[in-house]
Amino acid sequence: MRYLLLLLLSLNLFAVDATLRIEKDVEQRSRIALEDASPSVNEKFFKILLSDLKISGHFLADSRHNRGDLNSNFIAPALKSKEYVLRYALTQGSGTKLIIRLLKASDGTQVFKKSYSIPTTSKAPFLAHKAIYDINKVLKYPDISWINRYVVFSRYTTPRQSEIILADYTFNYKKVVIRGGLNLFPKWADANQKSFYYTSYAGVIPTLYKLNIYSGSKQRIISSEGMLVCSDVNKNGSKLLLTMAPQGQADIYEVSSSGGSKKRITSFNGIDVNGRYVDNESSIVFVSNRLGYANIFKKSINGSGVSQVVYHGRNNNAVDAHGSKIVYSSRESQNSFGKNTFNLYLTSSRGSGTRPLTTTGTNQFPRFSTDGSIIQYIKHRGSGSSIGYTNLTSQQSLLFPLGGRKIQSIDW
Amino acid sequence: MKKIIITTAALSLLLFTGCSQNAPDLDSKGSSSNISDASALTGDTVSINENAYGNESGGQNNSSADGFQSVYFDFGDYGIASDMENALSKNVNVASSAGGRRIKIEGNCDEFGTDEYNYALGLKRAKSVKDSMSSQGINTSNMVMVSFGESNPVCSSPTDSCYGKNRRVDLRLVK
Repeated sequence: MRYLLLLLLSLNLFAVDATLRIEKDVEQRSRIALEDASPSVNEKFFKILLSDLKISGHFLADSRHNRGDLNSNFIAPALKSKEYVLRYALTQGSGTKLIIRLLKASDGTQVFKKSYSIPTTSKAPFLAHKAIYDINKVLKYPDISWINRYVVFSRYTTPRQSEIILADYTFNYKKVVIRGGLNLFPKWADANQKSFYYTSYAGVIPTLYKLNIYSGSKQRIISSEGMLVCSDVNKNGSKLLLTMAPQGQADIYEVSSSGGSKKRITSFNGIDVNGRYVDNESSIVFVSNRLGYANIFKKSINGSGVSQVVYHGRNNNAVDAHGSKIVYSSRESQNSFGKNTFNLYLTSSRGSGTRPLTTTGTNQFPRFSTDGSIIQYIKHRGSGSSIGYTNLTSQQSLLFPLGGRKIQSIDW
Repeated sequence: MKKIIITTAALSLLLFTGCSQNAPDLDSKGSSSNISDASALTGDTVSINENAYGNESGGQNNSSADGFQSVYFDFGDYGIASDMENALSKNVNVASSAGGRRIKIEGNCDEFGTDEYNYALGLKRAKSVKDSMSSQGINTSNMVMVSFGESNPVCSSPTDSCYGKNRRVDLRLVK
C-alpha cells in the first residue's frame, strides 16, 4: 500500500514537464485567420500582420492569405474551425488607411471594429502593429505594447562613417535619423521614445549627446577620452550607466542624466563594459575580462564585491538584463577568425535556471523587450544576417532579413 | 487506509491536471469604435546630417601620419609584441621632436568583436602604446587616446593578413 502511495506521489513530482506546459500554452492561444479585403492585394502587409500575430504568443495564425469582403459577416466554411477571423482593408494613396473587423468565426458576429489613418505610406507597418496590439487588448491577453515601439540602431557605412536609423521591429520601416560622421551606440532615453543618447566622434574625444527625434534638439551630456558608451538608462530616466575612460581606463560609471554627478562603479585594470541595471537597480551585471576572457559578472552599485554570473563559454561578450533576468551571448567554438558559433542564453542575476535560446549560427546583440517577454537579437548564418525575436513564453521565434551593412549597436 | 488512498489519488489527479488558466473574455464594449487614433504614428521624426557640423572623424584617417608608425597587435591581445619595438622607438623619436604638440593615439580592432567590448579592446591597445612611450621618457600629458573599435578598418577582405592590419594603433598630431 505504501508503495502505491509513493507511486502516486512520485507521479506528481514528474508530472509538470515541458511538453505539458507547451500544450497548455497552445490551448490558451486563439486560432485566427486573416482575410484581406483591400482593393489591391499587399503581400508584404499581410506578412507583417501574420508576424505580429505569431510573435505576440497569443494567437495560432493561419498562414493562408485569404480574400474577403470587409462589410460582409459571412464566414467561409473553411474558416469555421477558427475562433476568429480578422478582416482588413488597406488603402494607400498619399497616406495610408486601414480598417479592421474582428469577427467570431462561428457565426460572423463582430467583436471589434476600428479604422486607422496616417498621412504617410512608409509607416504602414506600424498600422499593422497597432491593429494587432488593439485586437490583443480587446481579447484581454497580456500587453504587447513593445510591438509598437521603434528600434534604433547604428550601422557602419564606410570607415569612420556610420548612420543611426529608426525602424519598426520587423525592419520593414526604416528611416535614417543621423547620417554622416561617426555616431554610435544609440540608447533610448525615455520610455516614450522621444529621445535617445548616442556617442558622437565629431570632436577630438567622444561625446555623449541626447537627441529629441521629433524636434531635433540636441543636448551635450558628457565627454570622455578613450571611449564613451551609454549602456543603460534607469527606469525613470534619471540615471545612466556609462562605460567611459576619463583616465584612459574603461570602467562603468553611474551618471545623472544631465551629466552633472558621476559615480565610478567598477575599478579594474582590464576591461569592464556593458553595464546593465538588475535587481531593482540595486546592482549591475557587466562584461569583464578579469578572468582572462570576456565573461558576465555582477556587482552591487554601492558595494565592492564582484561575483561571477556565468560559468561556461569561451567568450561571453554581451549582456542585457530585465528585472532579475539576464540574456547573454556566448562563443562556443574555438576559431580565432571566421565562423564562430555564438549562442544566446537566458539566466537569472544569481546565475540559476540557465537555458539556451538559440542553437545555430552567430547570435549577438541580445536585447529584452520593455516587458522582458521577448528577446531581440542579430543572427548571422551563412551569407546573410537577420534580426530575430524569441518569445520567452510561447518559445516562438521570428527572423527578418537585414541588409548587408554591419550593425554596430541596437536598442529597442 | 482506503480513505487515505482515495484522498491521495484525488489530490494526485488535481496536481497532475495543473492549475487551469481562464481563456480570455471578450470585451463586450470593444465592438463600437470606428475611430482614427493612430496619432502616435503621425509625429514626424527629424533627419540630421552630421557632416554639416564639420566632423573631425571624417576622411580616410585609417593609418598613422606626421611621421608616426602604426603598431600592430595579435588577435584579442593588447600587449605589445617584440617585433613592434622598432616602430615604437621611431614613434618615441617623432614624439620627442613634436615640440609639445598634442598627439592623438587611436586604437583599432578587427571585426571579430561586438558592441562595447571591441571599443574597450581598442582603448587598451592605445593605452599600451601610450604607457610604453611613457616608459621611454616621453611626456604623455599632451597625448589623447580614442578607440575606434572596428569602425576604422584598413581593408575588408576575409584574410588573416587583412584582419592583422586592422588590429592596430595609429598615431598622428592633433590638427
